[in-house]
Amino acid sequence: MTANASPPLLEALDVSYTYSGLTPTRALEDLSLEVKENEFLAVLGPVGCGKTTLLRIFAGFLRPTKGSVRCAGSSIDGPGWQRGYVLQEQAIFPWMTVRENLEFGLLAKGVAPAARRAVSDQFLGLIGLSEFESAFPKELSTGMSKMVEVARVLATDPALLLLDEPFGALDAQTRARMQDALAGLWERRRKTVLFVTHDVEEALYLADRIVVLSPRPGKVKAHFAVDLPRPRSVETRFSTGFLAVKRKVWEATGPGP
Amino acid sequence: MPSLRVRRGAVALLALAVVYLIAAQVGRGRLPDRIWMGAHYVENVQLLPTWHSLAEEGAFLLESGILLDSVLVSSGRVFIGLLLGSLAGIVLGLLTGWGTRVESLADPWVTLFRFTPALALLPLYVVWFGYGEASKVLLIATNVAVITLLGAHHGVRAVPRVYLDAAASLGASRWLRFRKIVLPASFPSIFNSVRVAAGLAWVTIVVAELIDARMPSLGYLLALSGAYPRVPTMLIGIATVGALVLVFDLLALLLHARATRWMGRAG
Repeated sequence: MTANASPPLLEALDVSYTYSGLTPTRALEDLSLEVKENEFLAVLGPVGCGKTTLLRIFAGFLRPTKGSVRCAGSSIDGPGWQRGYVLQEQAIFPWMTVRENLEFGLLAKGVAPAARRAVSDQFLGLIGLSEFESAFPKELSTGMSKMVEVARVLATDPALLLLDEPFGALDAQTRARMQDALAGLWERRRKTVLFVTHDVEEALYLADRIVVLSPRPGKVKAHFAVDLPRPRSVETRFSTGFLAVKRKVWEATGPGP
Repeated sequence: MPSLRVRRGAVALLALAVVYLIAAQVGRGRLPDRIWMGAHYVENVQLLPTWHSLAEEGAFLLESGILLDSVLVSSGRVFIGLLLGSLAGIVLGLLTGWGTRVESLADPWVTLFRFTPALALLPLYVVWFGYGEASKVLLIATNVAVITLLGAHHGVRAVPRVYLDAAASLGASRWLRFRKIVLPASFPSIFNSVRVAAGLAWVTIVVAELIDARMPSLGYLLALSGAYPRVPTMLIGIATVGALVLVFDLLALLLHARATRWMGRAG
């Protein structure tokens, strides 16, 4: 992360967000952040530090109380497919087959059926679910449903991918498998990714760069570059380089000033 | 359709019939057969008609064609009332549920009509729509519409936020979100309300057919048997309405199972 001549694809400038209500909650305070083109950035922070709020602001569902957010140079107003957003909750449409789920964004874009089919074929292959094309989501595991959601967003070919703890609800083994699937998908079709998680190891394994947020109200506490070679594998998880960065990040996320 | 549930239901019905028949046999000769009806005595009243007199009465109603004609006429009215009422109710419910501005307009009206009994609307409908078929069908339709409106409205309101957000994020327009997210997601709730409304339509028919009551119709048959009073006819009339509700409900469940294959199991 040394020579960065390209302008940021996504940026937040002094963003604050306060949830109004009987007891107003300050979720974010003066947070500034940049995501460069084709960069995989992980935002790491404890539960309740405003990570989801930040992502919902980038996705266009919330407007910052103060400050500004821009994507590709223009300010963000409202949701749109250019910023593909994978929610933290399970959001695969249960009444649609796997293929219909994958094609939904293309349908919204007005893509012709034949072209939609070609794209969904490709993604069914990429996530290894070709046999499940006409299955309903109830037949999929939680992890596979999440991969369908990621692929569903990628199918519209967005400029940027916003992922909100996509594997938070999975057990450790499945989670590792899904991380590999995501990394594989990303290495084949490079995209700018903003990945939110509370798991240090997950952030290290996937990201080029890590931003650590402080507890509420969230602000940037530290930055780390993750200069580990790709493609990463199980070996990466136990390499000295990985463990060295892990120690640094671990210390930064721990309780401190 | 789990066959176990059907079998259990059949056994339960059969058990009830057996219990009744035993009670009727035991009561024969022990129960009074004349009762005071306020102004006069009614002789030979058969408080619990036995198997024999039920069969006799049933045979008469069948052979004369009264029962079949009544069933056809009343089913027709229920069907049209259910169709019109559901259409109106579902369309209005979807509108009030999805349109943010319409909701506050509709809410008090729905609450007002929710518990208005059919009987209270009866004279009004006679004045408005006359003594013909229209007032009967519209009385059923009104009751059905109130129930299905609520079902559709709450169905739309209960669509999980995450689906709508995910769809909006994928670039879906408001109309596409309505068609592909709101409609399928609220379908179970709408459908259940139609099921409830179908049962209610059969309750309403008994009241609706008091308007210009004449043969053949189940409502009239019941009213007439109450006036005499003829208990065997009453029991056969009630059982027939019950059986028709059951048939309607089974048909509805079959449709439901087909339309919601995506869900874990059918309601």
